[in-house]
Amino acid sequence: MLVGALFAGLVFGLYFTLVGLGLNLVFGVMRIVNLAHGDFLMLGGFAAYGLFSAFGLPPLASALIVLVVFTLLGLPIYYLVVPRLLAARDSEMLSIILFFGMSQMIEAITTIAFGATERSLPGRLLGVGPVILLGQRLPSSWVYSAVVSAVAVVGVYLYLYRTRLGTLTRAVMVSRDEALATGIDVHRVSAIAFGIGIALAGIAGVFAPFMLGSVTPAIGAGINIAAFAVIVVGTLGNPLGTVLGGIIYGVSLMLMQTYLSSWANILPNLLLIAVLLIRPEGLLGRQVRRA
Amino acid sequence: MSPDPLLRVEGLVKRFGGFRALDGVSFHLAPGEVLGLMGPNGSGKTTCINVISGLYAPDGGAVRFDGQAIGGQKAHLLARAGINRTFQSPKPFLSLTVAENVAVAATYGNGSGKPVDVMALLAELELDGLAHRPAGDLNSAQQKTLDLARALATAPRILLVDELAAGLNPAELSHMASRLRALAAGGMALLVVEHLMGFIDKVTDRVIVMNAGREIFEGTLADATRDAEVVRVFLGGAHG
Amino acid sequence: MPDRKRIAGDLGLAALVVVAMSVAHGVYSNELLLFNFVMFLTLSQGLNLIYGFTGYLPFGYVGFFGAGAYGFALAVMHLHSPPLLALAIAGLAALVLAVILAPLLRLSGAYFAIASLAAAQALYEVIANPDLQDLTKGPYGVSLSGVFAPRLSYFVAVAIMAVTFALVVWLRNSRFGLSLQAIREDPVSAAMAGVSVVRGRMVAWLLSSVIAGLSGGVFAWHISVFYPDTVFDVTFSIFATVFTLFGGATTLTGPLLGVFFLYGVYNAIGITVPQYFQLIYGALIMGLVLFLPNGLVSLLTRRGFRVP
Repeated sequence: MLVGALFAGLVFGLYFTLVGLGLNLVFGVMRIVNLAHGDFLMLGGFAAYGLFSAFGLPPLASALIVLVVFTLLGLPIYYLVVPRLLAARDSEMLSIILFFGMSQMIEAITTIAFGATERSLPGRLLGVGPVILLGQRLPSSWVYSAVVSAVAVVGVYLYLYRTRLGTLTRAVMVSRDEALATGIDVHRVSAIAFGIGIALAGIAGVFAPFMLGSVTPAIGAGINIAAFAVIVVGTLGNPLGTVLGGIIYGVSLMLMQTYLSSWANILPNLLLIAVLLIRPEGLLGRQVRRA
Repeated sequence: MSPDPLLRVEGLVKRFGGFRALDGVSFHLAPGEVLGLMGPNGSGKTTCINVISGLYAPDGGAVRFDGQAIGGQKAHLLARAGINRTFQSPKPFLSLTVAENVAVAATYGNGSGKPVDVMALLAELELDGLAHRPAGDLNSAQQKTLDLARALATAPRILLVDELAAGLNPAELSHMASRLRALAAGGMALLVVEHLMGFIDKVTDRVIVMNAGREIFEGTLADATRDAEVVRVFLGGAHG
Repeated sequence: MPDRKRIAGDLGLAALVVVAMSVAHGVYSNELLLFNFVMFLTLSQGLNLIYGFTGYLPFGYVGFFGAGAYGFALAVMHLHSPPLLALAIAGLAALVLAVILAPLLRLSGAYFAIASLAAAQALYEVIANPDLQDLTKGPYGVSLSGVFAPRLSYFVAVAIMAVTFALVVWLRNSRFGLSLQAIREDPVSAAMAGVSVVRGRMVAWLLSSVIAGLSGGVFAWHISVFYPDTVFDVTFSIFATVFTLFGGATTLTGPLLGVFFLYGVYNAIGITVPQYFQLIYGALIMGLVLFLPNGLVSLLTRRGFRVP
């Protein structure tokens, strides 16, 4: 049972890496907290549901559409709010309030447009029957989602380390001011990173109906806490550190569900608080404390 | 020699990760004395002030104030005990008025037993005309003066001055120099970190030159400019 | 610095609202609506104490409200306390929670906001947990019909509101309040001004949380039947935040303006489709952060007018 829980946690954790990945990229580049991240994820879930219901599109095709559409959607959102936000004195704090407002708007609009009912997709879309890996039985949808997550992580890595735009992005992550002084078009780089950030949330959302059971307009808030826990554990501002956070999160969640299932919901909250208090710089190190 | 030292720094060490920002620096400072602290960028001058004023706890060595070991004490307690400082880039309480900025320090930081007259202090520093304006309205030279006023409102016995002169014009410079001399004449001990030689020359009695976290010279500025190691550190540092 | 005219202005406004809410009870028959106004006036000013004066915004403010409501309920159910004693226990429950969560104050603002939300959620998960059904009745809610006293609880709520207003007036006009604002503006400079940053934040945090706890307690008393979802609803945090931001923090007027205008409109139009308000409030939050971070009153204070 223990081995099973650990193994399931690993697979589940890869999915939660994807859940936190975009949030961490946005934080790393802009030093702002996108508290509407969970709501973009929720929108990805509705997109997958809608594309399947209307056109019978499988999740993988929906994921590709979401990648393109959400990235493009991110650009105008970035230019509408972020430059003005970054000009403020305490932009990190204000970002939380601002995106909290955006989160409320997205949830409200989605509820008005589609109602509050739960949407789910048939599990057979991601393969029939369990997959047997190293003697452990796992739902094939989990394995499928974990593979997509791994591909996304590798994609982000290649973008950051193998493309010119990625190099510029890393320069902005190290120092926004110096990047600006070097003549880098910081806003263009950041806008694209913002777009990619919410696209990653959207892709995670496409698989949410399988991994989380269903999606409703209200799931965003809970996802935010989980995503934030994942990236704080895995080190804020270091997108690849998200992998570590996701796996720790996934494994502890599975252990809780195996041995203490009625208390499993409390885990993301306690994990977040504990890491912030005990090791606020995350497991790989970065200061978030003041004074 | 001059009166007993008010501040004694002995073998002070401060590490950031593997980097030793202070690597055993030692010096002393007497009441009424102005000591210049010089050295290339990164030599540990500001770190030294941060440790003495209680923003960082030292990793080794001792800071003695009036004979008492104070290393690692909280900054607000040191402020009340009579150690204060100005900041290289001052961060006044922007939404409070100039008078309120100083009033906070006069209320909470003055442990001398003698009340400080906030308006008189502002008048002395020529900020009285701005007393009821928010500090956010001040230009950077005025904010530096306000930072000094905030420090003085705690009636310090030791004042640590971190690059107060940077950004001031020549007239303001000479004004500030005589202000600091006047404070020393009143018995205050001053530690002045500064890059401008002219200002150091005008203000200090004695200088310490630091390099790589420790002192390499102690004496008058005139002697310092003739010291081979000091010259090497400054010129060598400047030209890599 | 004690400025008599300013104190008189602040006290006058506070007294006016307290009297108005007391008189309204005799004139207007929708008691629950009036109670909700009193509750949000209190919660907004309670949030103002911590956000306006220290810059820390607890998204999880509702956690203290819920702790207070359940503190009250558990005291009545298990200890058979009279309501006023149960109310004191409600305040104590919030106080204990605030002390437990005090280490969060070491975090910088953004992390504090999220961590406090996580803490409120965690508390909700504990109270609503079916495993604790014997103690808390879990997700099935509590019924306190034995102590139901709508009129008395209304006036107790008004009294709690009056005390909260008095605290805000005190902070606005005292050296201590000034020192808190200094901490908010720059903790390092504040420390060098001799202000104990840790102690200042702690006092504001405890006061603010006890107010929310008392508010939750009197809410439990007034409605007498509720569920964990009722009293841990993040909407309480959202409303208090929006009302405070809308009018402007650190003032007495700001949160009052926010409650009377926004909550007034909210009720006048009717709550048939709450999502429209969620949408409007969300848009308001974004607009305020971007264009008017110090709220409506800053339109006046910026021009040198004094606002209570």
